[in-house]
Amino acid sequence: MNLLIDLQCCTGCGACVEHCPGHVLSQDEEGRPYERYPDDCWYCGVCETECPAQCISLLFPYLIR
Amino acid sequence: MNRWETVQADFVIVGGGAAGTMAAIRAKELNPDMEVVIVEKAEISRSGAAGRGMDALNNVVVPGHGTVEEYVEAVDIVADGVLQPDITRIIGERSFGILKRLEQWGCRFPRTPEGDYIVNAFHPKGRFLVEMRGDLKKILAREVSSLGIRVYNRHPVLDLVKSGTRIAGAVALDLGTGVLKAFLAPAVLLASGGAARIGLPNTGYLHGTFDCPWCNGEAYKLGFEAGASLTGFEYTCRSAMTRDFNGPGQSTFIRHGAWLVNGLGERFMERYDPQRMERAPAGIRMRAMMEEERAGRGPIAFSFRHLPSKVIEMIEEGIFEAERPTMRAFFRRRGIDLKRTPVEVVMSEVYLCGGHGLSGLVADRWGETSVQGLFAAGDCLANPYGFLAGAMVMGEVVAERVVERAAPGPSGHDARDRIDRLRRALERHGKGRLGVSVRDFEYKFRRLVNEFLAPPKSETKLRRFLHLTEPMLKDQEDLPARDPHEVMKVFEAKAGLFCARMAAEASLFRTESRFGLYHQRVDYPEKNDAQWKTRVILSPGPEGPVVEKERS
Repeated sequence: MNLLIDLQCCTGCGACVEHCPGHVLSQDEEGRPYERYPDDCWYCGVCETECPAQCISLLFPYLIR
Repeated sequence: MNRWETVQADFVIVGGGAAGTMAAIRAKELNPDMEVVIVEKAEISRSGAAGRGMDALNNVVVPGHGTVEEYVEAVDIVADGVLQPDITRIIGERSFGILKRLEQWGCRFPRTPEGDYIVNAFHPKGRFLVEMRGDLKKILAREVSSLGIRVYNRHPVLDLVKSGTRIAGAVALDLGTGVLKAFLAPAVLLASGGAARIGLPNTGYLHGTFDCPWCNGEAYKLGFEAGASLTGFEYTCRSAMTRDFNGPGQSTFIRHGAWLVNGLGERFMERYDPQRMERAPAGIRMRAMMEEERAGRGPIAFSFRHLPSKVIEMIEEGIFEAERPTMRAFFRRRGIDLKRTPVEVVMSEVYLCGGHGLSGLVADRWGETSVQGLFAAGDCLANPYGFLAGAMVMGEVVAERVVERAAPGPSGHDARDRIDRLRRALERHGKGRLGVSVRDFEYKFRRLVNEFLAPPKSETKLRRFLHLTEPMLKDQEDLPARDPHEVMKVFEAKAGLFCARMAAEASLFRTESRFGLYHQRVDYPEKNDAQWKTRVILSPGPEGPVVEKERS
């Protein structure tokens, strides 16, 4: 997991999914974002920047902590 | 993945980064009736190497601060005398025009109290770097949208279409539906970046690269297989990268006067390039870093303590707000405060790039390759150290050429043979007989890059690399890909392997040492200007790549 997505605050707008340059994120059947391809993340922070409700924060994985 | 569709256009642009969007905008401005289509792997407001943002234009000839002649001379120094001067000259001539356009569109260029642009030194000679703020890609995407340019996001291009000897279009995969789409046009611009995932980062993380990891040399491979030539593939870049943090940063540090220090606290560039210090050409800086590490004087770090607070604040503002906001969180986690703490750097993995290196498709001064109608701009074009401004200049130049020349209307070509070929390939990937994941496959060849292709190089190591990766060319056709995303990853990995092997071929051919660390040959340690102050060209031949010196 690279991201902490606060699903309580997420409105399901899909902005993070739409903009992720790596096609890493997807929405589940209820519109909640999740990391479908976490191995392809660059930690660029686009998802964090694009979230209008500021529900996403980047976690730095163990390898690079 | 069995259905396919056709889209007719006048001008197809592969990649909606800075070069691609600027080409689309320019073409549509000049001819509003032209059907311009951008085919983009990601989403254009956040795609490309400058997708998150950029805190400077590295190469603008600002009137009163420098001349085009000085700019060409500065790039010639960085490129060690091996460049195509006409493209560099055009970038010098038109870069200030790009700045003015961006400013008009809402990019901010901070000014001095006297009202002048803030122009800093980054090149070994001259001052061409202008501080920039603002959300560049959002701005470019807005302009694209306002002109009614059609954009196909999430469509990685997998193949090109030709009609006889000229280009006729490109075939992409719709990641959402799995449908193959043929975009047919008499002019195609390749603008989909350099090749980031060539060497393996020291973290072992495949996407933990210096350069944008989703640009993996597909444009190089597509162009070459369509008949275009490549150059500068022996210029195997490595950069100083903040330890454990993926992505660039060194240019920001260097231009604001940060020092590179070793583990003993010495400003070690004094030993290697006392005149230019940190502003030495990148390959010399990297060779110095490697020598220091090897002598046991690591770790290497950028030090800021000697800089005034105002300068440090500008560095922070540039990185945290314009270029890479996640670095703020990373620095906080590591307890890094630039006013007190040095930032440890490591050498990045090997990568290939036309915009901050020399590797790219060979093109004439209008960006056209040897394949009629096939153009290149941005990091996939050989435009040495053209950076972001160069990408946008060449995007404009290509568009002007296409508009001037292209006969409007569809190319009339049928892409059925390419679609059928792709379908067979995708079916084979669907079966995935190799039984090895694309990530394991990629890890393996990139590990071999680190061992045998990364500089310092030798004939023995380079031949070993080609020998060990040869069976992988066959294996890669049976890599498993069971959804469109996996297909994209397979094509990225294939492009990466292709580029690495081209880099080995070019590196074998250049029997001298040049470009500092980047082409350091232990078996040919001397630079030989009489024989080798020329470009190495890789061209497709019936039995593999033909490597030769550029014919003057």
